[in-house]
Amino acid sequence: MKKIILIGILSVLVFSACENELDQAPLSNRSAADFYNNETDFEQAIVGIYNALAYHSASQFYLSEVRSDNVYIPGLAGVREWIPVSNFSKTLVTNPLVRDAWDDPYVGILRANTVLDRLNENAVPDQTTRNRMEGEVKFLRAFFYFDLVRFFGGVPIIDKLITPSEALEISRATPQAVYDFIVSDLDDAISLLPSTSTAAGRPSSVVAKALLGKVYLTMSGPTYGIQGPGLGVDMTSQALTLFNDVIASNQYGDVPSYATIFRSNSENNADIVFSIQNINDGTGGDKGIGTILPTLMYHEAWARVNMPFAGGVPSDGHITPSNQVLNSFEANDVRDDFSILRTWVDANNNTSNDAMIIKYLDLADVPVDRFNWGIDFPVIRYTDVLMMKAEILLKNGPSQEVDDIVNNVRNRAGLGTVSNVDLDMLLEERRKEFIGEGLRFHDLVRTGKVIDVINAWDAVDDAAAVMSPMIPNFIIYPINQSQLEVKPGLYTQNPGYN
Amino acid sequence: MKNKMTLLMSMLMFTLMYTSGYAQEKKVSGTVTDVSNMPLPGVNVVVKGTKNGASTDFDGNYSISVSNGETLVFSYVGFKTKELLVGSANTYNISLETDNAQLDEVIVIGYGSQKKTSITGAVASFSASGVDERPLVRLDQALVGQLSGVRVKQTSGVPGAGFQIQIRGTGSINASNEPLYVVDGFPLDTDGQPSNLNPNDIETIQVLKDASSTAIYGSRGSNGVVLITTKQGKSGKPKISFNTYTGWNETVKKLDVLSSEEWVARAMEHQNYSYVRNFGAQGATSSDTNDQRRAILGLGPNAINTGYMYDERWLQPGHPGLDYVDWQDLFFRKGLIQSYQLSATGGTDTSKYYISGDYSNQEGIAIGVNNERFNLRANIEVTPNENLKFGINIAPSFSTIDDPGVEGKDAITHIVVSQTPIVESAVGALYTNTGEFSSYPWAGSRVSPLAEATFNKRSTKRFRNLATIFVEYNLLEGLTYKGTINSDLQINTNDRFTPSWITRNRTATGSKSGDTRTSFVTEHTLNYLKSFNKHNFNLLGGYSYNVFNFEDYSINASGFPSDDVETINVASTTSGSATKSKNTLISYFGRLMYDYNEKYFFQATLRRDGSSRFGDNTKFGTFPSLSAGWRITEEDFMSSNNFFNELKLRGSWGISGNNNIGNYEHIANLSNTNYSFGGNLASGQSPANFANADLSWEKSESTNIGLDIGIFNNRIFSSIEYYTKRNSDLLLNIPVPTSSGFGTALTNIGEVLNKGWEFELTTRNITNKDFTWTTNLNLSHNTNEVKKLGPNNTPILGGAFDITHNILEVGRPMYTLYLVQQDGLLTTEDINNGVARYGNQEAGDPKYVDINEDGVITPDDRTYSGSPNPDYLWGITNSFKYKDFDLSVQLQGQWGGKIYSTFGRAMYRTGQGASDNLLDLGPRYIWQEGAIVTEADVAGLERKSPSSFGRIKNTDWLYDNDYWRVRNISLGYNLGSQIQSDLISGARIYVTMENWFGGDKYDGGFNPEAVNNSGDDYGAFPLSRSVTFGLNLNF
Repeated sequence: MKKIILIGILSVLVFSACENELDQAPLSNRSAADFYNNETDFEQAIVGIYNALAYHSASQFYLSEVRSDNVYIPGLAGVREWIPVSNFSKTLVTNPLVRDAWDDPYVGILRANTVLDRLNENAVPDQTTRNRMEGEVKFLRAFFYFDLVRFFGGVPIIDKLITPSEALEISRATPQAVYDFIVSDLDDAISLLPSTSTAAGRPSSVVAKALLGKVYLTMSGPTYGIQGPGLGVDMTSQALTLFNDVIASNQYGDVPSYATIFRSNSENNADIVFSIQNINDGTGGDKGIGTILPTLMYHEAWARVNMPFAGGVPSDGHITPSNQVLNSFEANDVRDDFSILRTWVDANNNTSNDAMIIKYLDLADVPVDRFNWGIDFPVIRYTDVLMMKAEILLKNGPSQEVDDIVNNVRNRAGLGTVSNVDLDMLLEERRKEFIGEGLRFHDLVRTGKVIDVINAWDAVDDAAAVMSPMIPNFIIYPINQSQLEVKPGLYTQNPGYN
Repeated sequence: MKNKMTLLMSMLMFTLMYTSGYAQEKKVSGTVTDVSNMPLPGVNVVVKGTKNGASTDFDGNYSISVSNGETLVFSYVGFKTKELLVGSANTYNISLETDNAQLDEVIVIGYGSQKKTSITGAVASFSASGVDERPLVRLDQALVGQLSGVRVKQTSGVPGAGFQIQIRGTGSINASNEPLYVVDGFPLDTDGQPSNLNPNDIETIQVLKDASSTAIYGSRGSNGVVLITTKQGKSGKPKISFNTYTGWNETVKKLDVLSSEEWVARAMEHQNYSYVRNFGAQGATSSDTNDQRRAILGLGPNAINTGYMYDERWLQPGHPGLDYVDWQDLFFRKGLIQSYQLSATGGTDTSKYYISGDYSNQEGIAIGVNNERFNLRANIEVTPNENLKFGINIAPSFSTIDDPGVEGKDAITHIVVSQTPIVESAVGALYTNTGEFSSYPWAGSRVSPLAEATFNKRSTKRFRNLATIFVEYNLLEGLTYKGTINSDLQINTNDRFTPSWITRNRTATGSKSGDTRTSFVTEHTLNYLKSFNKHNFNLLGGYSYNVFNFEDYSINASGFPSDDVETINVASTTSGSATKSKNTLISYFGRLMYDYNEKYFFQATLRRDGSSRFGDNTKFGTFPSLSAGWRITEEDFMSSNNFFNELKLRGSWGISGNNNIGNYEHIANLSNTNYSFGGNLASGQSPANFANADLSWEKSESTNIGLDIGIFNNRIFSSIEYYTKRNSDLLLNIPVPTSSGFGTALTNIGEVLNKGWEFELTTRNITNKDFTWTTNLNLSHNTNEVKKLGPNNTPILGGAFDITHNILEVGRPMYTLYLVQQDGLLTTEDINNGVARYGNQEAGDPKYVDINEDGVITPDDRTYSGSPNPDYLWGITNSFKYKDFDLSVQLQGQWGGKIYSTFGRAMYRTGQGASDNLLDLGPRYIWQEGAIVTEADVAGLERKSPSSFGRIKNTDWLYDNDYWRVRNISLGYNLGSQIQSDLISGARIYVTMENWFGGDKYDGGFNPEAVNNSGDDYGAFPLSRSVTFGLNLNF
């Protein structure tokens, strides 16, 4: 009997000691329970928001560059996901590229909302630091919404941390409401951020002004009768003031060589107002610090000869610059050879004339795998700010100031001067200057020319007759089928797609 | 007739008896009857220790010569053997009792064992005899088709790959549906199938199916529990057994794809289609020669555009310079199998042992696939005094698996099927597009799959050791303490090296990765037995502590200076990762078993589980069960019944759980999300999930009604079960609008109901002295229905690639396939009439059904297209024994389910390019320039091959997953009587055909149960079939 009592006592001791073991924290990642306590934690949480920017380059490339008259894909097989984007197919509701352009910004918005929800003076006592943090977060949140509103029109506005069930109750806001939210965030950012950036790639109040200027200019585009990015309002004078502020800050200036603007070894130069930062640290894997962008643009058959790793666009979906854009380059335009490779030789020694965009292909900085290119992706260039200013000035007709801006750009490209620049000439110059940067479709939409320009191009360049006519509904993209299925009726689909 | 035979044999026996008679012998006679006094004819009567014997006649009478003091043995199939010491009397009337061996069988249950007659829940039992003679690499191969209600899904043919066992359907949507495995009382880590068991060591396997049996395992019981018992030592002289077999295995099937000639015809069809489509305006026609095409395309002399131009050699007799290749014939092979097993058992009153060793080596059914295994086991038990027993079980194993990457999307099997079936003769199939050789210009960019299979190095080494120490101590009369300490250590290491010359970019890569899983379990139970006045009590109380650790690492390397050194120390670039996780489980449990005179049975269990996996608000869960049984045949009013030998009614209810919910899912986890500023790396942290402090186990409530029937002296024994299993609080990744930043949130919500019946039948059809025939049959039916989903019961769609293709919806089976329906082909008239189309479909393309009648085909036209779960599972084993020969034939199968093959995307998709090969599903409509396509042109044909409308998930990749297989045929011959040796006490030779015959309806893939890519089949490696010859020697 004594033995039993002894065992009983021992058991009770052992059992109660062990129950503490039921609280196990993750061993290979942190948890929110012991985070958001100090300045370092918040710096890391904010880095997490920047990390969410990674989607931006590919989404601008596919949904603006490939969508525009800069790219033509005969795509007979019709199976690569960028082909229906390029040829204005109606069947985009399940397209993964379109889906990602909706999903990915919201990841950044969640991270931004988390930081704004947690940020407090106990954790970050220094007011200046806290202001800078809040300013960066609001800048980034506005950035994400600006991407959304341009591709989808009105979207759900999530402005705080929400539970899954709350998410099921928030439907789409109007484009106007989304812009109001963006403007409010950027106004806050302008007042909270320091006037100069604390590190390359972080916004200052000047960067926020450049972005807000672009937002105002985009709002000022025509509506085309759809719930799209243009509101048909005139906010150009506000935009002009902001662009002038950016110019007056003297933080940016002319970069004499076009190549210098983009190359890895001269990143963050005087032309870069804001860019997505990438580095090639010489290792592989998915660390979220490199980009796949150059590989999305080159052809696989070319890469088999020239790249040390797998990847590239298969031959049934070559993303080739359109004949029209190829022919538009004047002789000796340095941007032509820098941005486009027109002929190349494949592994069977056959010469191919399938051109490709090589603007970001920095062969001096080749990573170990296709996911880790270190090239930055410019989002707002000083050249863009100047040319957007010219675009506003053109409302009053051609002027010397506009001519000067354009000739400055042409001069760097090794071209002669022009005069009496009008909107079409400005757009044509932008097309070549910014080829591959994902601006073209937005430029056409903003300036009211997208329907006419695309259809005119379609008429001459669509040799394989794969393109559908451009209609206003195609200015914005449909919401992905999966989002419509989460709660039928929560979102109304953009018209024109099935 | 039978009686005449008996008579004849009796007379023969008499003759024998007289010829070998002794002087002191006398003649003894009598009548043999059963307990109800019915005479038994044909009973064997033998004088013990001699060959002197007789049989009873038609009236049960026997007569035999025997001396006083000798013993007569009366034996008859279906009855207990009886011995009789011959005294002075000359007449002995004998009554034989029914043999309830089948009922007296002891069944292992959770934390104990029970007589089969006492079972009140639903337990399926499988005796592993004969398994050692089958070339089995994995446990699933032994269990398939043997147990009712147990679906063994052989999801992969790769040696060492996992399998799935589903007991009574699937009740969980996102958590695992795998049962808990318990080996000799040691519950294995929940994601640890008993991968290292030597089939030769297994004595029995029991599967606990209903909650009254599994609730004692609490939060791990809801998917059923598989109890595996290994062979234990038996006291007596050492018995040594040696078993070996050798033979070959090969693929069960190959896929029907286009032959090289058919491929050429299709390639030219594609070229003409593109050429006319793109250059028709410039006068291009299908009949243009290559030179005419060059002119239109603006190419120089000798230039080739493979998209629009053909290879001139295709048209020349014997296609000079080209090899036409059947990749499957080159890839699959006959692989050699060999196995050697040695075991010894013996012991004394104070110690017993069972030790065994096993080496087996299987060349796979395809190039590069191999499997080698080495197992040891020692089960040792010491009994120093009558109150104390302790022992150890230790089972280390080591295996090596070579798999160059044969299964899944873009893996070798996929490429073998879809690779262009033509290569340049100068290069050959093995070397096409490798090293300095380029690909055949009309082929795709894939490297030769043969080169990959042959030279891609991928090997996995697995070490695993299961160890148990146990102590049993009788504290008081009827009160026993048992304590165990168990450890499971698994170390897996993967080495990979791909030489540069077989990669598309001629760049070598390598990696080393691995994981270590440890599981430590200690359990303590007290068991109290008490009987009085026919009341029998069995009380159990226990405590269990489990801790599981998991660690993994991987190092990827590139920049190898050459292909000569394959280890990653020479690589110029490496990147690595390593993670750890842990979970703990603490449990208290108890059980009361009571019976009255083995007539009425009652059982109750209770378990309380606390797990680190559960949220802070739900740390502990409680799992009760109740069950009862009634042996009607034990009732007085049944005593005069001669029909039923056994009639028993069982009923049970219980709740068990499923804790396979991930280790840290309830916590607000952060993930590493880095960025860089100005070229400087910055570390970031971001929310990784919606935290849920209420997260807990899934609950499974089940009821079971069972009936056991034994008739004709138990020559026919049957069990029938009806059950319902309601799984609720399902762990569901409910879709959330991605505007929240996450696509899903893990929540305990949702409910699935499984119900069904199971039927098991054992019959001993013929039981002659020289010939016996027994049949085991099982048949089960299960239906599965989703009862509740997330808030609003919004359906959840799933399935990878393009668009979703399955649906979870209330009122329908889980993962109901959800597809656009194909209905024939489009005609020109259809196009002109504006029939609903998907994109720019043309005549000859598939016609899809416009379900929502909106005039256009969209994803909204998907509809319910069957369920992946079969309605019926069946298995039947016939065993024959004739003199020294024995033969066993096992068939099994399933019907009523569907498989959706995403593999079709690789080899039978609309818009598939000309370079790939294509499934040959029958004659297809051939595109013709400018043709008016009528209904008659397309009737009964497959769709045309070239198209440009893209693709939408539809019924063309949908197949029945019905199949039947002759799982095993074993023929053996016992040499025992032929061998005169003091050394060898027994010898047997046998031949086994494993999985040799069979059929299925899955023309679009190798294995109708394959799962290898997001829940679907995208390039399964086929199952194998084998013939082996073996020898078994006992010493």
